[in-house]
Amino acid sequence: MQVFTDIFKFGSDITARIKNIVNIPKAFSWQTFIYLSVFSGLMSYLASGFVKDLISLCGWLFLIAGTAWYTTDGNPLKFFGTDMTVGALITGALVSIFAFGHESTILTSRTFVLWPTIAGLISAVPEFFSGTGTDVSAQIPKPEARQRMIILVASCMVLSCWLQFFFVMDNWLNEYPSLKSDSFKNSTFVLRTQPPETVPENGALVLNKIQPLLEEQLTERNWSEAEKWLKNASSQVGKLGREVVDKQLQKFDEKSFWKIEPRITNTKSGYKLDILSIWTGPSSNPKKYYLKKSCTVEPFAGGVRTNKPDAKGTVAEIICEGGSSLFGGSPPPQQ
Amino acid sequence: MPIEIPALPLPSVYPLGVILFDFLFLLVAIPIEAYILNTRLRFDKKTSIFYAISINLISSVVGWVAFFIAEPLLPKDLRTELISYAFFNKFQSNTVPPLLIFTALIIFFGTFILKFFILKGLLVLLSEPEKAPKDPENFKQRNTIRASRAKLQNTSVVTTTLIANSLSYSAIAIILLLRVR
Repeated sequence: MQVFTDIFKFGSDITARIKNIVNIPKAFSWQTFIYLSVFSGLMSYLASGFVKDLISLCGWLFLIAGTAWYTTDGNPLKFFGTDMTVGALITGALVSIFAFGHESTILTSRTFVLWPTIAGLISAVPEFFSGTGTDVSAQIPKPEARQRMIILVASCMVLSCWLQFFFVMDNWLNEYPSLKSDSFKNSTFVLRTQPPETVPENGALVLNKIQPLLEEQLTERNWSEAEKWLKNASSQVGKLGREVVDKQLQKFDEKSFWKIEPRITNTKSGYKLDILSIWTGPSSNPKKYYLKKSCTVEPFAGGVRTNKPDAKGTVAEIICEGGSSLFGGSPPPQQ
Repeated sequence: MPIEIPALPLPSVYPLGVILFDFLFLLVAIPIEAYILNTRLRFDKKTSIFYAISINLISSVVGWVAFFIAEPLLPKDLRTELISYAFFNKFQSNTVPPLLIFTALIIFFGTFILKFFILKGLLVLLSEPEKAPKDPENFKQRNTIRASRAKLQNTSVVTTTLIANSLSYSAIAIILLLRVR
């Protein structure tokens, strides 16, 4: 018998403890909302499809309602002496994540941008009500309170605009990534957190992609034909370059700023073919900059290296350097 | 469902300069406009400061939103110039300055109209809700007084807004010119 009473006592002890932790003073209180949201969270974890979305939506609403209630109850804590309440900041963050977040990336730029505005609006809401808890009546706030609210909400909106501008500038860099390799030290407006990239990657990428195409065009070509091709190089390379740029830089707005041009010089044994990718967009250097990849085109006794039957006589061979190098200023003039 | 730490979409450049400039403009414009409102419309000091803060903050917000809407729609050349100015503090071609003056004019008159309507809106929003008049005779009399007062205020609000806006823009222009030197 003793064992049973012990077990019973232990059981009631535990329930008392749980009751203490899960202390719900009355059915209609903020704790109820928080527990409902936790419960909905668990349920949505188990459910799937449409039901899951529905339950998680309810969970978010309960969480927001509970937090809002808890943080506005009694005498709310103010944020650094402003009219903004800490509770409104927290509730605002939840609303913002809930409304603009994504499933894959929980935080989006819009979450950040609209957070201050939403928090400001939430902190203004209690001014419209008097009383606490469940006993609430609507009222029009006093003119003085209205003034404070207008200034609070307006300054929060200005903050939101500033945050949005962060993302606008970031978007510019995503559309024109070659700007990242330039120096912003002349700029009055911008502070950068990362050192500039050493080489504009898109320019180098275009050169690397055009190299095999050139090799295909010239290798094993009859030497006199190759010379003819080289004489006509600016239109040939320009056309190839346009195609490569359009294909490789498709998703960037900066693609119209890259121009591909060849420079040809005679050497003792053949020709030196420089392929330039020239940046024509905004730059800190008034003469802008270009990237260069050097190739040598030389005659070669044909039919030795390959087993092409028609490659007889002298054929052209093109050898390009692996990387490309960056030069400031305008490119050398075309011959 | 594994919980992933989301990649923060944090930008790699910070336009702190732009924000500081906007803040500076507000700091310059608010006291000037508050002073003008105080002397010309005879609001008390606290009220005029409130009006100055609100019209400047709200018109700043409207201006930013207009910029955010217009920026992706700009022709490519202009957008490039904008980016060039933001990152390198210079324009690519010299056709921009006339356009800039034109834009400045539009901004000036735009904010003037905006500030006037915001001020009118705030005057309505902040008036005490009128209690229903019990005495019909008194009501009639009061109504005519109020109407004349409203009429008087309307013209003086327009000129006051214009003066306040011009003065604050002049101050900002002087600051900008000092920076160029």
